[in-house]
Amino acid sequence: MTAGWRQSLALRVSLMFTLVVALAAAGLGSYLYRTFVTEIERRDDIQLLGKLRQVQMLLGRPGAAELLQAQPDYFRDTMSGQENSLVHILAPDGRVLADINALHETYPLPAAAGAAPTLEAIRSWRTRSGAPGRVVAGSARLETGEVSVVVARAYAERSAMFARYRQQIAGAALVSALGAALLAALLLRRGLRPLRSVAEHASLVRPGTLAQRIEVDGAPSELLPLIRALNDMLARLQEAYARLSGFSADLAHEFRTPVANLLGQSQVMLAQPRSSADYQDLIASNVEELERLARMIESMLFLARAGQDEVVLARQSLQASDELQKVADFFEGMAEERGLAFDYAASGSVLADPALLRRALANLVSNAVRHADAGSTILLRAVARGAFMELGVSNSGAPLAPVHLAHLFERFYRADPARSDADGSTGLGLSIVGAIMDLHGGEAGVQAEAGSITFTLRFPIG
Amino acid sequence: MTILVIEDEPKTGDYLQRGLAESGFGVRLARNGRDGLHIAQEEEIELVVLDVMLPRMNGWEVLAALRAAPATAQIPVLFLTARDEVQDRVRGLELGADDYLVKPFAFVELVARIRTLLRRGPVREDEHIRIGDMEIDVLMRRVRRGGTAIVLTAQEFALLHLLARRQGQVLSRALIASQVWDMNFDSDTNVIDAAVRRLRRKIDDPFTHKLIHTRRGMGYVCEAEAAPAA
Repeated sequence: MTAGWRQSLALRVSLMFTLVVALAAAGLGSYLYRTFVTEIERRDDIQLLGKLRQVQMLLGRPGAAELLQAQPDYFRDTMSGQENSLVHILAPDGRVLADINALHETYPLPAAAGAAPTLEAIRSWRTRSGAPGRVVAGSARLETGEVSVVVARAYAERSAMFARYRQQIAGAALVSALGAALLAALLLRRGLRPLRSVAEHASLVRPGTLAQRIEVDGAPSELLPLIRALNDMLARLQEAYARLSGFSADLAHEFRTPVANLLGQSQVMLAQPRSSADYQDLIASNVEELERLARMIESMLFLARAGQDEVVLARQSLQASDELQKVADFFEGMAEERGLAFDYAASGSVLADPALLRRALANLVSNAVRHADAGSTILLRAVARGAFMELGVSNSGAPLAPVHLAHLFERFYRADPARSDADGSTGLGLSIVGAIMDLHGGEAGVQAEAGSITFTLRFPIG
Repeated sequence: MTILVIEDEPKTGDYLQRGLAESGFGVRLARNGRDGLHIAQEEEIELVVLDVMLPRMNGWEVLAALRAAPATAQIPVLFLTARDEVQDRVRGLELGADDYLVKPFAFVELVARIRTLLRRGPVREDEHIRIGDMEIDVLMRRVRRGGTAIVLTAQEFALLHLLARRQGQVLSRALIASQVWDMNFDSDTNVIDAAVRRLRRKIDDPFTHKLIHTRRGMGYVCEAEAAPAA
């Protein structure tokens, strides 16, 4: 029960709604009942006063005193009119002149409140059976002198009527509460239908159906933020999934070439007896292919771990110029062969993991050395720019079409597909640079100008 | 010098046994952890090459048992792991392993690490190294060949010093990158090749006897006599 209460929104809202309707119906009913009762009682009181006046007038007629003495029965008949009207007439000396009391009720005899009592002078009493009664006393002029007239009435039927009326109101309140409960449940079922349809949509999402979106049109405004959030989530998942499956396909493709080479050349060599020099050549060639595969695997694992934030950074404050110099020294031999020179314009320090910074810079310088125009100069820069320390590697070279720039940091992206494996690159270098910058909370970027290309690493300062 | 190799993967075990034997070590091969531990306890073993993923008794358990017994507590252990996870490495080193390699690794790298572990104690750096007719004055950073002084840049000298210090040993490109330039990741192989070519132009090209030799698929070795590929 408590679990259902907590779990079902419909049940909760229905119950609360029912409670509200029941309270409102009960409040309205009791208000109407109160008003009704007050009105009936007022009318009865006015009637009681009328009765008193009637008796006063009767007593004021000529011969009334005599009639009261001589023919009390006649007088009683004239007076009572109704069974439950009780009349008590007292002489000033306390003598009872008349007492009309068929049921022998006992009721209080208040002092006369003048000749014309108002509603305020009316007092309450109770019959022996517990029914409510009202009583009023007024003075009347008899020929023989002033007397006190007490008129009372019992309202047994009125109580019964009030009780019936109360029951009816309670019944009506109960019925409307039940009706409200039923209606609320039905309406909520209807009202929550969009929510169920969202859930149905969400339950149908499969890796292959990530392109579908939950319908926004016709959805209630309260659900729009939820639907938009779900759709945004789907978009992000779709993008990541597409990237991942594209990546797997690329990976398989990248692995296919070296594996095919390994298989093919080994099988060719095994088909006939060969000289030991041939075997050595084969094995050395296989080792080269395998080294490339091993490098690719290492790079992939690095990217996978970086993507899951499993790489622990050991950040240090490093002199930017030292780091650039170290990496340039590493490539000195290669640069010399292509007649390239390094130029530095570096100052300031950078907060980074030294091994990862070196790896990122080495990947950029390796690209620069590979693609720079022979005999040109590679510029290594470091400059503080706002909240970032910017390290840049620029080289002159054949212009790169703008369409390529946006994709350069994607895994296995090559601006020139023909120049894929010959230089021994894995196609993962720049994506590793991107991953390293993500780990540092910075970013990697590339700008191409006429005849030159610049890669920048932006490390946040502090 | 007997090395115990504990490795369950058949091909890996076979090539490690063969390669290490050909590098001049006595080799005992165990195919599971329990046998390996038994051999380590019963025989004279200088060093253990331990795979982490082993049937029956895994590498961590073997390592813990080796370190627990006084007779085997001092044997250097180099562990091999296929998972380059930080916690794996930390766990191995915490349990008392001396070094580790992540699969796939270059065989020459393994041999270099084993030699380092077996050398024990602080390595005494020679102040003068002589290979064939080449003399290296390490402190003065001077190189002479057959009476001719050769001028080297700082990078070239560091590379030559590494090759000469480990003369006769094949050094992988990764090891060279790491030792000379402190680049501890698998980089472009062309970089090391270019650096060695540059060094050769000064050290070997003017002379008939070559001192720096390429071991195709493995790396470089510096020695006076060109020995057949090991």
